[in-house]
Amino acid sequence: MMKLFKATTAAILALAFASGIAKAQDSVDGLALVDAAVKYYRGQASVATVRMIVHRSDWEREMTIKAWTLGKKYSLFYITDPPKDEGNGTLKRETDMWTYNPKVNRVIKLPPSMMSQAWMGSDFSNNDLAKSDSIIDDYVHEVEAEKTVDGKTVYTVLSMPKPKAPVIWGMQKLYIREDHILLRQEFYDEEMALVKTMTGEQIETLGGKLFPRIWRMQKADAENEYTLLDYRELEFKESLPERLFTVSSLQNPKRM
Amino acid sequence: MDLKLAWRNIWRNPRRSVLTMAAIAFATLLLVFMLSWQFGSYATMINASVKIHTGHLQVQADGYRDDRDIRKVVADPDAVGRILGGTPPVSAYTFRAEAFSLVSSKDRTYGVLVTGIDPEKEAAVSTLADTVREGEYLSAADTDRALIGTLLAENLQVAPGDELVLLGQGRDGSIAATVLVVKGVFSSGQDEFDRSVVHMPLDFFQETYSMRGAVHAAVAVCKDLEAMPEAKREISRKLAEQGRGRPLAVFGWKELVPGLLQAIKMDLIIGFIFYLILIVVVAFSILNTFLMAIFERKREFGVMMALGTTPARLTRVLVYESTAMTMLGCAAGILAGAILTAYFQANGIVVPGAEEIAREFGLPERIYPRLSLLSVSIGAGIVLLITLVTAAYPALRVRRLKPLDALRAG
Repeated sequence: MMKLFKATTAAILALAFASGIAKAQDSVDGLALVDAAVKYYRGQASVATVRMIVHRSDWEREMTIKAWTLGKKYSLFYITDPPKDEGNGTLKRETDMWTYNPKVNRVIKLPPSMMSQAWMGSDFSNNDLAKSDSIIDDYVHEVEAEKTVDGKTVYTVLSMPKPKAPVIWGMQKLYIREDHILLRQEFYDEEMALVKTMTGEQIETLGGKLFPRIWRMQKADAENEYTLLDYRELEFKESLPERLFTVSSLQNPKRM
Repeated sequence: MDLKLAWRNIWRNPRRSVLTMAAIAFATLLLVFMLSWQFGSYATMINASVKIHTGHLQVQADGYRDDRDIRKVVADPDAVGRILGGTPPVSAYTFRAEAFSLVSSKDRTYGVLVTGIDPEKEAAVSTLADTVREGEYLSAADTDRALIGTLLAENLQVAPGDELVLLGQGRDGSIAATVLVVKGVFSSGQDEFDRSVVHMPLDFFQETYSMRGAVHAAVAVCKDLEAMPEAKREISRKLAEQGRGRPLAVFGWKELVPGLLQAIKMDLIIGFIFYLILIVVVAFSILNTFLMAIFERKREFGVMMALGTTPARLTRVLVYESTAMTMLGCAAGILAGAILTAYFQANGIVVPGAEEIAREFGLPERIYPRLSLLSVSIGAGIVLLITLVTAAYPALRVRRLKPLDALRAG
C-alpha cells in the first residue's frame, strides 16, 4: 500500500516537474517580444514618406505625410499633399501632442480629452500616434499562442493594461513574427469587444530591412471603412537631431 | 314620479345638498384649473426650451441626427427654405451648419461644436440674441467674429475682443482653420450649451469648412406648438415630392430633445398622483355626506317602506338624487373652473420672483393656463365617475333596512 502511494506521488511529482520544464521551454518572454517588435519598426531613428488613404463607403481622401521618428518617444509628421493642407504638422513628445496650422500660423497643444479623437479624420486616433509606444510600459504582456505560418513562427501576445495605466483599451492582441515584424494588432474595449484592427500587409524590403509596406487600420463594425498607410519611402538612421522634435521646429516650414 | 320625488328630496334639506354639491363643484374646479395650468405650463416650457436652440422642427440630411458627420449635408438650403416659407404654420426659419472642432485661446484648448448661424434669421427663431451678456450679438456684416457661451469663455479665459483659433476638418476632409475674434458672450442657462458651443457667421463658416453652400440643418418655429405635427407632415410630403440628392428628414422637437418629453411625462405622473389623492379626499367627503343623509333619513325610509315602497324603488330614488346632485355639482365646477381658467388664460399668471430670471433667459414672464376640451373633461369625468360610484354604496345599503328598526330609529 505504502509502496503504491510512494510510486503515485513520485509519478505525480515527475509529471509536474516535466510539465514545468516544458512550460519554461515554451514560454517566450512577452515583454521582450513586444519591445523587440517596437524597436524593429521604429529603428533608432527614421524618415518616411507615407501616403494616407482614408476610405469611407461613399468617399475617399488621400494625403501624403512626411514623418520623422527618434527613439521611442519623439515623432514629427507634416502634410505635403494635397496643397490645400500642405504644411499642417503634428509633433509628439513623450505623451504630449501639438498641432500646427500654417494658415493661422498657430501651434495648438492637444488637450487630454482630444487624444482619443481621430487624427485628420482617419481611423488612427491621436492616441494611436502619441502613445503607440507606451504599450511597452503600460501593459503586461503574455504570449498566448504560437503557430507556424509560411515556415515562420508567429506569436500571439496578449497585452493587458497595468492597473492605473492611463490607457483607453481593455486589451490588445499583437501578432508578432519571429523576425520581430508586427503583423497584426487588435484593439479591444473594456468589455473585451474588438474595436479595431491594424494589419501589416505586403512585407518587402524597405529601408534596408523587411517591413510591411501597407498598414491598414479597420474598425471592427464597419467593413467598408478603413485607413491605409502606404510607405512610399522609408529610411532608417542612426540618429536625428533632437531639436527637430520641438515646437519651434514644428512651426518652421524649412525644418529639414 | 320617482324623479320628482328625488328632486323634492334634494331641496328638502337645501343646506346639506348645497354643501355636497359645493364639495363636488370645488373638486371639479380644482381639477379643471390645475390640469389647464399644467398643460399650459408645458406649452410654455416646451416653447422656452426649444427656443434656446432646437426650434420646433428641423430638416436635416437623413442620418445626420445619429451620426454627426460633416458630409451629411442639406446641399440646397434655398430649396428647403422655399418649402419652409411656403408652409403656413411655419412662422420663421433659419439655417445652421456645424462642425466639431478644437478651439484654442492663448494657452487653453477645448473641443467644441462650432455652429455657423445667419445672425438675422437666427434672431427670429431662437432666443440666442436675447441671452448675450457681454459684448454684442453677431450682425449680418460680421465675418471672423464669434459668439461663445459664458462657461466656455470662463474655461478659455477670454472676453470680447480676444482671439480664438479654430481647428477642425472641412466637408471635403481638408483641414479647416481660422482665427475668430470674440464679439459676444451668451448665457442660455443650459450649462451644456453654454460650455460647448461657438457661434460664427454662416457665410464665414461655409468658407472655412469648405461647405460649398451646404448647411446641416434648417431650423423652423411654428406659430404655436399644436401646429407643429401638421407642419411636419406637410414639409415631409413636400420634401418627398422634390426628392433629389441626399434624402432629407424632418424632425419635431420630441425627437430633437427627447429628454424634454421625458421630463414632462415625469411631471405629469407626479401631477396625477396629486390628483388621485385629491380625488380620494373628495370621494370620502362625498361618501360621508351621503351616508349621513341616509342615517338622518332612516325614519323617513322606514315610513316609506311601511307604506309599501319596495327597496328597489327606494334605491332608485336615492340614485336619482345623488346623480342629480353630482351632475349639478360638476356642471357648476366646470363652469366656475372654465371661467377662472379663461380669465388667467387671457391675463397670464406671474410667478412671483421669477420675472427677472425669466427676462434674463429670454423666457416669457407669465405662464398662461390653457383651457382645452381635454383639461376640462378629464377632471370633471373623474369626479363624476368617483362620485357616482361612492353614492351607489349608501343607495344599496338602504335595501338592508328593516322597516320596523328604521321606524324606531331617530
